Amino acid sequence: MSSLSEDPTSTTTITTTTSDNNPSTDNNTKRRKQPPPETPSHIRRRSFIIASFWAIVLFLGLPIWWKTTTIYRADLPLGEMMDWADGKACSPEFPIRVAIDAPDVQANEAESLVRETQQTLDAMKDFPGHRIRLEIPETPMDRAASLNPNSNTALVIRLKQGDAIATTLHPHLPILEVTYPSDSIVPGTSAASSLSTYLATELRSTFSEEQAIMSYLLATSSIPSERRPQDFSQQITESLSKRMTRSLKYSRTYHLTFSLFTSGPSPNSWEIEEAVRQYMDPVLNMLNSIHNFTIDTQVQLYATPGVQSQVLTKEDLSSFINAAEWPLSPSIGGAPTVNFVVYIGNQTIGVGSESETSQSWLIPQWGSVYLLSPPPTDYVPAELLKQPILTFTSHLLSLLGTPQSGSLPMRLSTLTRIRSADLLLRASSSLGSLARLSLALPSISIPPSVADGVAKSMHHLELACASSTSSNNGLEHARIAEEEAERAFFEKSMVGQLYFPDEHKIAVYLPLLGPVGVPLLMGLLNEIRAWKKRRAEKQKAA
Amino acid sequence: MLLLTIQSFFSSLIPIFLFLFCHVRGVSASDYFEQLNLKPLPHLSLLASFDFRSNTTFSQFEAQSYRYFPRSLGQILQHVGTKELHLRFSLGRWDAESWGARPWDGTREGGTGVELWAWLEADTDEEADHKWLTLTNALSGLFCASLNFIDQTRTIRPAMSFRPEGDHPNSTLENTHLLHGVLPHEVVCTENLTPFLKLLPCKGKSGISSLLDGHKLFDASWQSMAIDIRPVCPPSGGECVLEIEQTIDMVLDIERSKRPRGNPIPRPPPGHDLKCNTSKPYHSGDTCFPADLLDSQDWTLDQVFGKTMKGTCPLTDPNVPPVCIQAPERRDVYTTGGVTEYKDPSGLSRCYQIPPDSEFSLVLPRMPREGENAKTDADEMVVPETPLLYAERSFTGHGQERGGVQSILTNPSPDTEVEFIYMESLPWFMRIYLHTLKTRIEGISGNNEDVIEEIYYRPALDRARGTQLELRMRIPPASTVFLTYDFEKTILRYTEYPPDANRGFDVAASVITILPSSDPNAPPARQKTSNLRTTSLLLSLPTPDFSMPYNVIIFTSTAIALAFGGLYNILVRRFVAADEGPEVDVTGIKGKIIHGVMGLLKKIKGAKGKLE
Repeated sequence: MSSLSEDPTSTTTITTTTSDNNPSTDNNTKRRKQPPPETPSHIRRRSFIIASFWAIVLFLGLPIWWKTTTIYRADLPLGEMMDWADGKACSPEFPIRVAIDAPDVQANEAESLVRETQQTLDAMKDFPGHRIRLEIPETPMDRAASLNPNSNTALVIRLKQGDAIATTLHPHLPILEVTYPSDSIVPGTSAASSLSTYLATELRSTFSEEQAIMSYLLATSSIPSERRPQDFSQQITESLSKRMTRSLKYSRTYHLTFSLFTSGPSPNSWEIEEAVRQYMDPVLNMLNSIHNFTIDTQVQLYATPGVQSQVLTKEDLSSFINAAEWPLSPSIGGAPTVNFVVYIGNQTIGVGSESETSQSWLIPQWGSVYLLSPPPTDYVPAELLKQPILTFTSHLLSLLGTPQSGSLPMRLSTLTRIRSADLLLRASSSLGSLARLSLALPSISIPPSVADGVAKSMHHLELACASSTSSNNGLEHARIAEEEAERAFFEKSMVGQLYFPDEHKIAVYLPLLGPVGVPLLMGLLNEIRAWKKRRAEKQKAA
Repeated sequence: MLLLTIQSFFSSLIPIFLFLFCHVRGVSASDYFEQLNLKPLPHLSLLASFDFRSNTTFSQFEAQSYRYFPRSLGQILQHVGTKELHLRFSLGRWDAESWGARPWDGTREGGTGVELWAWLEADTDEEADHKWLTLTNALSGLFCASLNFIDQTRTIRPAMSFRPEGDHPNSTLENTHLLHGVLPHEVVCTENLTPFLKLLPCKGKSGISSLLDGHKLFDASWQSMAIDIRPVCPPSGGECVLEIEQTIDMVLDIERSKRPRGNPIPRPPPGHDLKCNTSKPYHSGDTCFPADLLDSQDWTLDQVFGKTMKGTCPLTDPNVPPVCIQAPERRDVYTTGGVTEYKDPSGLSRCYQIPPDSEFSLVLPRMPREGENAKTDADEMVVPETPLLYAERSFTGHGQERGGVQSILTNPSPDTEVEFIYMESLPWFMRIYLHTLKTRIEGISGNNEDVIEEIYYRPALDRARGTQLELRMRIPPASTVFLTYDFEKTILRYTEYPPDANRGFDVAASVITILPSSDPNAPPARQKTSNLRTTSLLLSLPTPDFSMPYNVIIFTSTAIALAFGGLYNILVRRFVAADEGPEVDVTGIKGKIIHGVMGLLKKIKGAKGKLE
């Protein structure tokens, strides 16, 4: 330190002991004095100091930094989730159980008929997810039970003796009545095989729509293409995709809102409760096993439609609902709202499409509108509302995604299976998306609630998959699975910290790490160099 | 309450004309009622009170069949089990000194911003809180207002101030909870009027609601929109109904309202249009004493509202006149054709029956103040009633740490004392010291009795709930009470400041509920509960410099780096004499740089040579 007092600029001369590897030192050493040699205890102490600083940084600083800045990511079973999305975890199988009710036929004859028909059906090479299974109810009680609309049996074939082979589909019950000539039932004969072939073809055509929808659902799902059925025409796909996009998202409960809109002050009351009770309730009661409904009604006067022209063209229909002014807010509560609007006015629809009448149209995933010509009084009686309500009922069925062929109970049982399959596929694809998201964004936080939702969803998916034979349970499990998967995917707290830019981090760390890190690092490097030099000297000496 | 007053009077000269004036209040025969009351006020102001009432029977309400009752609101009420609901959107200040008593006795107005109170059916407090949250969120969506910001810190449970207005069976009242929330910062604007009009059966397309226009309403000096929903049971028995009453009260500045819509920017009038008071001795061509305020009112309905009234709403009872004006009999009022006028026997108001499909307007011409038929103020307008109580509130003190609140409550009546409940709902960051609550009375000398009769106080919890202070007070006649208390300002956390932190924080208006007089001989105005609200206050809190976190990071980092660098270097470096260390000078560095550059050039040349 004495040099400091001698020379005011001496601060520049304070250097480390290891400065001798400066290229210019070779020239200087001749002129300059060497510093006195250091004692080994000093050298050792310096090493200890540097080592202890680094130990604090590495074993205390780094873990604390890591602990306090790390983003919580709950463990997700990513592999399993991807398996679900790829359809590997469960091949969705929705067997259609068909009971044969043949009171006049002997048991062994019936059995052989069932066996042969089943063979024919299996040989038709439908895709594996959709299979018709024939069975014979063993006791009369089972037979009665199979007619129950809540049972798992989709269809009952009632065999009756007659003159020729003929089939009729019961208009109100899920029964296919088959008449057959008496000789065709004897096993082994050619007539018997023709009967079984006939039955198989009939069954297949009866369920062809359902099969098409199932194929469509699988085709549009996230399942990779090699695991999907391939064989269906472009035309069917188009019509199906139109129908499927029209239908509402599945929910256990729907709110039905009936609204009467009038352009002026009258009519200002309507007999809607009575009309709904008479014309819509029967269908709603049948739908009870799948959906619940709440009904509310309102009257809105002085409502101006979005389109004023007298004759509405097809383009006008989409802007007819005046969303800005008409109070058609969704009902409170979680369930989706289906709107049925009766508009009193003289407007007519110019060229309706083939399926719609000239007074009403359906708005996909929203509801339906009916134009009613003004009644003479300012009161709309129930009789006038008959046609609108019946139209609304059929629109409701198509908004729910009900298939179009067959008797109503059959359509509903088909609806149950379609919805289960749909929900199952949706839930699986949501899980897949979540898995991909968590892989793609390593900086996103995954709170425990997401892991919880995923676990619940997968549990219910497994249950739904296992119970897809008993349709109603399957639907319920699939619904819960879908709900949980969606909840996990749309978890709010996952989005919050998505964007924390790197510049921000640099701005925070640099002022600290720069001035602290550089001396630490330089100290360490110099010490290593000195140690190497000492070792080399030692070796030379030795 | 059915109060049917049929007042008829015969004109003694022409007995053929019989005016049957029906005024129906309370449950009317029709399910829908609407009326507009106009009242000219001093200083060229006009009070317009719109009143809309519709109702639905409980059976229809339960069945969710809505006719005149709005469905969107009905479903919210049903979903959260609301028994009674009051929602207020207010703006401006009621100038009680010149305008007198408030419309509806102050029961249909709120403090500046949004105010909501409701009776919710719930078994426990937690359930009530949960329902309240759902209610505020749902209403927030319906009315495009930030009602969802009414959280626990802004919610109180008034103990004395509010009483249910509707007829509730005792069994339901037992497990209903009253919650009250207020948002003084909310700016009420056109987007709140549109959903308000949507709730009306006639939608602002016909009837008195066709006069309502956002530009005029929110340009008013004072305005209050109110929605009140309450169950009403007819005293004669019969089915109870759920009544929704929507009122809009506004005080229009006539001069400002008459400004045409195409030219809304106020400009000084040219010299020849100036109304000057010619009686002044200094009046000449270039000096003018403005005479506006002395002038008489001169307006038409379509001028002040910007449009004419489009007929009547056909859903109302045709016997109820839709428009009334409170003006003395001597005031000239002209109307459009086909309108029937009914004069009130008191001579202070008249009502107009309007044909259903015609446009309607009122014309109030300028009244001559000089000449033969000179009229006075008394001829022109009804003298405003004196309010039962004047109240004003302001901050006292200075600095960023402490402050005080002073409320001045004046009882103008020379002979009657007034009893009321004074309620404050203060934000948690305004920590009041209750021991500093003091009253000082001025007026009748020698009366030193304590004016505060009862105190209900619920202290604030930081970030969890606000202060609730309710005082039952009695002020003797012709005296003024100064109510003061001190408070401490809290320093908020960095993220708790709003974007405009330096503007200040709004403190909700205090609510004064004047209790009905127990004396049976009291005048009718004292027989019922009336309300009064002070203005809201703007509290400025100490605000930090918002770039502070970065400054802190830089500053502490520098400090740490300095300390650390010095310490570390002393610990690990070896100090030697100046002539023992390596020589460091500028030429050495220069030579190094030149050496490096030369080497680099050589390398490049070498690479080129290889290529060739």
